[in-house]
Order: sequence, then structure tokens, then C-alpha cells
Amino acid sequence: MKLYLYGIINSSDQIKESIYGLEGSGVYNIPLCDIGAVVSEISQPIRGVTKGAVLEHEAVVEKLMENFTILPVRFQTIIDGRDNLLSMMQSYYKDFKDNLERLHNKLEFGIKVIWPADKVKENIIKALKKGGQRMPESDSSVSKRFIKEKFEKYEIDKEFEAKADRFIKVMDIFFSKFAAEKKLGKLKTENLLLDAVYLVEKDRQNDFREAFEHIKNAHTGLKYLFSGPWPPYNFVVLSKKSGLLRDSEQADLFDKVTQCQTLVGADSI
Amino acid sequence: MIASGIVETDSPEEFIEEIEKSQDVLPRKIDANPKNVEKGLAKLVLTLIELIRKLLEKQAMRRVEAGSLSEDEIERVGETLIKLENKMNELKQIFGLKDEELNLNLGPLGELM
Amino acid sequence: MDSVITKSKDVTLLEILDRVLDKGVVVSGDMVISVADVDLIYLGLKVLLSSVETMEKLRGSPFIGPTQEPT
Repeated sequence: MKLYLYGIINSSDQIKESIYGLEGSGVYNIPLCDIGAVVSEISQPIRGVTKGAVLEHEAVVEKLMENFTILPVRFQTIIDGRDNLLSMMQSYYKDFKDNLERLHNKLEFGIKVIWPADKVKENIIKALKKGGQRMPESDSSVSKRFIKEKFEKYEIDKEFEAKADRFIKVMDIFFSKFAAEKKLGKLKTENLLLDAVYLVEKDRQNDFREAFEHIKNAHTGLKYLFSGPWPPYNFVVLSKKSGLLRDSEQADLFDKVTQCQTLVGADSI
Repeated sequence: MIASGIVETDSPEEFIEEIEKSQDVLPRKIDANPKNVEKGLAKLVLTLIELIRKLLEKQAMRRVEAGSLSEDEIERVGETLIKLENKMNELKQIFGLKDEELNLNLGPLGELM
Repeated sequence: MDSVITKSKDVTLLEILDRVLDKGVVVSGDMVISVADVDLIYLGLKVLLSSVETMEKLRGSPFIGPTQEPT
């Protein structure tokens, strides 16, 4: 039985609501100890990334986010059979548990900022011209002129990046006040000054939103994008890259898990 | 069920353009169609060569900035950089690739540049 | 100052794609029989160099013709 995996949740309970995922299949929880893997059964292999499937997948994860802490799983992760799923859960158990605890009650927000790169560079060129040139004018060789041109461009780029850093710092100081964690992408393109994600506690999301509005109103020459709340896609940290455990690790984990299973079993009787 | 992840912006087109540009880290998939495999591989290889070329150029600029190159060295470095740039342009032409296609978005590694 | 809030489907989709395709929990191993349309580079250069035949073992890859059920 092929299981389409949506996310890992901090619960071994069954999902009370009726949630439907890909192929309209019912979504349910396969527990292991005190966590669970939320899946639905899938019959057809997925042909590529379609808008419909992506939206269905995301909708399921967001629905689960309402009642659980969830570690969202990458799109189109299909596990071959329940046994394999449980085995995978076992080997990742510690990683999943750590992440679920760390990300509990937190939401991800995205902020992107566009600035007018061309105008910024124009201003820099003007400023540099005023400051005078560094290279002597007397160069006549092709090679030397090449270097001179490259160097001028280098100076402009350098100042461009320095300006970006300053801008980002100003904004980040504001947003960080309400964030537990963050990831900042600087100048992914010339115009995309900032592509950031922030991990914010649920209770502080309004403060965070206000901080964003404040910056937006303070710096009006820029363009802004605000997104969220999202499940914590950007803040899941897995120490284990593959599902393979060394034998001794496997034995330790098995002991911990069976103890847990025993406890869980006793409670549910 | 439709995802409700809220995205708010007053400039959706501009962001779409920049986001798409920023996601072109490496060729997103290697087309296995035999006719296009060559181009896909060329793109990958040339992207890496271009990266090295840019690193070398940047190093040279740092030396110029520090004033640690003699006139003679500037001349020779200039000559070499010109040759490298010309070679890259040649290769780009041969494989029908544009600058934008070879732009490697290094993310955090970009700081090293 | 009022700004026009646009729940633009396209930019929303881009944001969603960026998250579901590249982020979150990524599990790998023999029991995973489908991977999303991501950079094949991330799967290791051995995929890049492998023959088309080997590539066909990857389920769900959009550039391979109709997929077959695993035996």
C-alpha cells in the first residue's frame, strides 16, 4: 500500500476531522510512540508537479496546523507500505521529536522586499565620481583599461552590497524582536533586497505584523511582500540525512521506542 | 480544499519576476531527451566554470584595491582575464546559452564571493 | 496609506512551491518511491551520469514517459 506523507505531528491520536488529500483520499495518522505520520493512501504515481496536487497537499498541512504541531514533509513523498513508514519514523524519531518540541506553538512568516537596484547604483556612481577616481588615467593598454573598467564595477558592486546590508540590518532589528528564529536571504537578485523567513510564537504574531507595517510605512520607496502564517517549512532541521542507522543506534532507539510503546499501550487499555 | 497560506503584496508581478529569477539556482532538471542532454550538461559545466572565472576576477579586484599589484602584474592579469572572458563568450555561443542561464545563486555561500 | 492587498494566485503558488518542493522534512531511502520535481543534482551526481534506463526507475519524474507500477 502506497502512503502519501504530508507531515509529522506531535500526537499519536487519530485525526478527528475528516480531511481529504490527494486523489480525494481520507487523511489519517499512523502513530509511533507519542508522534505520528499523517498520510493518505495513493494509487497512481504522481506525474510531475501539478498545481492541483500542490494546493491539495498544502491545504492538508495547513488544516493539520490548526490542531497540531506539524513538521511539513516535502511534496510527493510516498512511502512503500506501513512497515517501511514505521521503520522510517523509528530512525528519525529523535530528530522529529526535537523539532516538534522546538517548533511547538510557532508559525513561520515570510517577508520579501524589492528595492530599485538601478536607482541605487546610479546614486552610488554619482557619489563615487565625486570622490574622484582611484586608477591613474594614463593607461593606454587594452589590458589596463579592462582592469580599470572591472575595478570601477567592482567598487560599485561593493558599495551596493554594503548599502543592502545596512538596509537589511535596520529592518531585521525590528522584526527580530518578535522572532524566535530567522533566515535572511540577501540580494538573491539585484532587486530582491531581502527574502526572509521568521519563526514567530503564536502569541506574538500580531506584534510581528505591526513591526512589519511600521517598516513598510517608514520606508516607502520599497516594495513589500508579507506571507503567512505558514507551517514551519524553513525551520525543520534534520541531523540525519538518510534513514539509515548504525546497529548500536538502532538498538538504543528500539529500546526507547518499545518502552514508549509499552507505556502507550498500557494507557489505552 | 484550497490552501489558504496568505500572501499579501501590492506588487505581485514584480515579486513573481524576482522570485522566479532567484529560484534558478542550477538547471532545475536535466532534460533526459538525448537531443537536449548535451545542452543541459553544458549549462551545468559552464555555470561552474563561470563561477570560477568570477571568483578569479574578484580576487584580482581585491588585489588592485589593496594596491598589491605592480604595473606589470596588472597588465598580465588584465590580459588573462580578457582571454577568460572571451573564452566563456565563445562557449556560451557554441551552446546557445545566455548569461542569465549561467547565473549561480549561491545563497549563503554567495558571501564567499 | 492604504495598500492594495492582493491574494494573487500566482505569487501565492510560487510561495507555496518554494516551500513544498524545497523545504520541510526530506526523507530518503529505498522505501521512498517518489520524489518531487527537484534538482536532480540534489540526488547526487550519480543520477546525472546514469543512463536514461536507470533514470526510469525514479517514479513520477515528469520528463520520463508514462510510469509503470513497481513489480
